[in-house]
Amino acid sequence: MSTGASNPEYVNARVRSRRAAMLSDEDYRKLIRMGPSEIARFMEETEYEQEINALGTRFSGVDLIEYALNRNLAKHFDDLLEWSEGQLYDRIVRYLRKFDVWNLKTIVRGIYTDSDPEEISTDLIRAGELDDGTIDRLVEVDSIEDVIEILDGTIFAEQLEDAYEEFEESGALVPLENALDRAFYENLLEDLGRPREGPEAKYVEFLEAEIDFLNARNALRLARSGADLDPAAYYIDGGVLFDESDLNRLVGDYDALVDHIAENKRYGDRLSEALDRLRDADSLIQFEHALDAALLEYADTLSSVYPTSISPVLSFVLAKEREVENIRAIARGREVGLDENEIEEELVIL
Amino acid sequence: MTIETLPEMALVLNSLAENAVALQETAAPAGNGGPAIEQGAAAALGIGLAAIGAGYAERAIGASVVGALAEDSISPGIGILLTVLPETLVIFALVALFV
Repeated sequence: MSTGASNPEYVNARVRSRRAAMLSDEDYRKLIRMGPSEIARFMEETEYEQEINALGTRFSGVDLIEYALNRNLAKHFDDLLEWSEGQLYDRIVRYLRKFDVWNLKTIVRGIYTDSDPEEISTDLIRAGELDDGTIDRLVEVDSIEDVIEILDGTIFAEQLEDAYEEFEESGALVPLENALDRAFYENLLEDLGRPREGPEAKYVEFLEAEIDFLNARNALRLARSGADLDPAAYYIDGGVLFDESDLNRLVGDYDALVDHIAENKRYGDRLSEALDRLRDADSLIQFEHALDAALLEYADTLSSVYPTSISPVLSFVLAKEREVENIRAIARGREVGLDENEIEEELVIL
Repeated sequence: MTIETLPEMALVLNSLAENAVALQETAAPAGNGGPAIEQGAAAALGIGLAAIGAGYAERAIGASVVGALAEDSISPGIGILLTVLPETLVIFALVALFV
């Protein structure tokens, strides 16, 4: 953990101006009517210009859009880490480590399937805490054991070492992937305490919401699919919505699960509309989008309430992630020939 | 000691101001001579404290302005104007010299 003075004023000024430059509803409406190559052309005229130009010779169509989006995302989030100092850095990096988790999973899977280092490398989103040098080394190694060795000293090391024994016995990647997730989420709330008011409290509340929504998502999926899996294996500690016994009890009963979420004081009101739709038993995807939108809206509100805290950065990070996911959804949707209304349903727009 | 937060800063300024007042009051009954701090010196102290306050405010504004300038979202002129805005407090504090 880094200490010392933090510089929210500087970071927030930059972040707000980047937030303002993001795509608007209007732009999405235009994009929905375009084909993949037109979208790429459109992106060339926005802030994605640099990435599109750099990758334009190697890829085309949807792949080009996808890699350009990833690269742009990584650029922005790397900038955040570069600008911030002290406590602010510590707070931001906690959240951005989720890209480390993503990268490590990709690398481990790549090694497991003997993929070409070059190929693994293109699929990474270099936005987390691990620096490029470390990631390049990780991509080049041949065995998972070496990966764990290189990660020695990071927050993932301990959990991975335990999981590796299990992996050697079973030969399945699941223990390793769960270990990465667990290391990330356990670290998310570590030594933050439970402050009652002020920006700190809201930051903790936000992270708790992140965990709660993840648990809710997993529980709903398990309940929906009716698969005979142990819910405890997917449970992440630290949220306020479920405890482990709740989850075990509710996964068997879909309606009770929805009621449980609706009765919660913190989320019930905010999600009531989405919950109603969920009760009417159509798509889970709609509900998941409602969760995303609720989180985004909440982060936006916080950034006006506490302008010199981490909130504006969080809201930018979320909005950027949504933007990237939206553009990707549009491009992929057009590629497989969905019509405009169907694509619009896939988008998360405030 | 590094001063990190606004409340700490306020505390430091407050205790300084209290000391100054105490010096003026206690010195008078001691007999020979005037207060421990003459009027001119007291005014200088006041201006100095106002300058510290303005400096503290400018720290945050300056940081934001540099951030916004780096993103090219405001013009340098506006940035400078906003940065020196708290400086007006020091000009008000100059009034203390003339009373």
